[in-house]
Amino acid sequence: MKPTISCPQCRILLLEGVFNRPQPTPCPSCGTPLVIEVFPALFRPIAPGQSAEAVMVEGESSCFFHPQKKAVVPCGSCGRFLCALCDCALHGEHYCPTCLETGKSKGKIKALKNQHTRYDRLALTLSIVPVLFFYVTLITAPIVLYMTFRYWKAPVSQVSKSRVRFIIAGVLAALQLIGWTVFFIMLGKSHR
Amino acid sequence: MPDDQYKRLTRERTSQLFGVASLARTSLWLGTDHLLLIEANGYTESYKRFYFRDIQAILIRTTPTRQVWNWVLGSILAFISLCCLAGGLVTSVRDQEWVSGPVIVFLASLLLLGLPLLINNLLGTTCACQIRTAVQTERLPSIVRLAQANKILNRIRPLIEAAQGQLSGEEVAARLQDFQSFQPSPYAPPAAESPGVPPVIS
Repeated sequence: MKPTISCPQCRILLLEGVFNRPQPTPCPSCGTPLVIEVFPALFRPIAPGQSAEAVMVEGESSCFFHPQKKAVVPCGSCGRFLCALCDCALHGEHYCPTCLETGKSKGKIKALKNQHTRYDRLALTLSIVPVLFFYVTLITAPIVLYMTFRYWKAPVSQVSKSRVRFIIAGVLAALQLIGWTVFFIMLGKSHR
Repeated sequence: MPDDQYKRLTRERTSQLFGVASLARTSLWLGTDHLLLIEANGYTESYKRFYFRDIQAILIRTTPTRQVWNWVLGSILAFISLCCLAGGLVTSVRDQEWVSGPVIVFLASLLLLGLPLLINNLLGTTCACQIRTAVQTERLPSIVRLAQANKILNRIRPLIEAAQGQLSGEEVAARLQDFQSFQPSPYAPPAAESPGVPPVIS
């Protein structure tokens, strides 16, 4: 991306007069009041990619993935030697592409986690909505209880630790199951 | 594991203007070295991280949404008020007694429309906010008011400056103009090597 700033409204290139001002300043073209805060990263050149060096001396450690290339760093996860080409640096740690992919897919590397399922919300919905159709609760209540116990220790979200939804869902599901149990007992007694 | 270091910057908001019933909601959180944008879509959350060292610019533009809501709510409120006034007057004159129906309707509409109108004006100017990095320009739909945007900007500016350094408005303008003057025009024709000879395209 070029180090240029355009007006978010009219897309005209902005060159002066509107940057890092405390108050909204009108765009010279469309007049829309703008607050544009620019930081030095805009002018930072993109670092060129590294190329791996070939192994020059026999016995020198080589890359696990490219045996003819010189190893520069071990993988922080699996310990395999990596050349400069295979070295994936992330927050000061070095990973091989395989560990990086595994870490992302299994959620081991937190900084790469970009999706999460909210089982607490799902359990709460499953404990409330089926009440409208009543008979469905016979199926959904055990599912809610299973989900509550199964995912109780799992992280609820990246930012939230509250398990209130799980508690409400579990209590509602338990009440529904108790209701069904009482209903079947009463039904059994009336048939005798 | 959930991160205790995240601090809420904005509440969950729908990403569409009239998407009150929409399940898609976004919120913005402040981490130790990054901003976290959470897009919650029903039962899944997706995360976008903007590291302070990578943020190139934050762009905020004011939007006319507040005026639109003012017109919509104000017009309906005015229409109902006029109807109530006319209806009340006609009925009172005809029956020669005070009728409470139009007053109740007027008070209910005042509560349902007047209160949101008041809140809309108290919250201040509406805005749209974007965050720019080297690889993307992302909209931040949870920031909708200029006062809120300024508050967040004042909170994150020192953190970004601590990671990157500081630039004044004049420095930014000078650097952008320098860059523009050094860029060769993509529309300039290639120069001929010698007069009368067409340029060689390599």
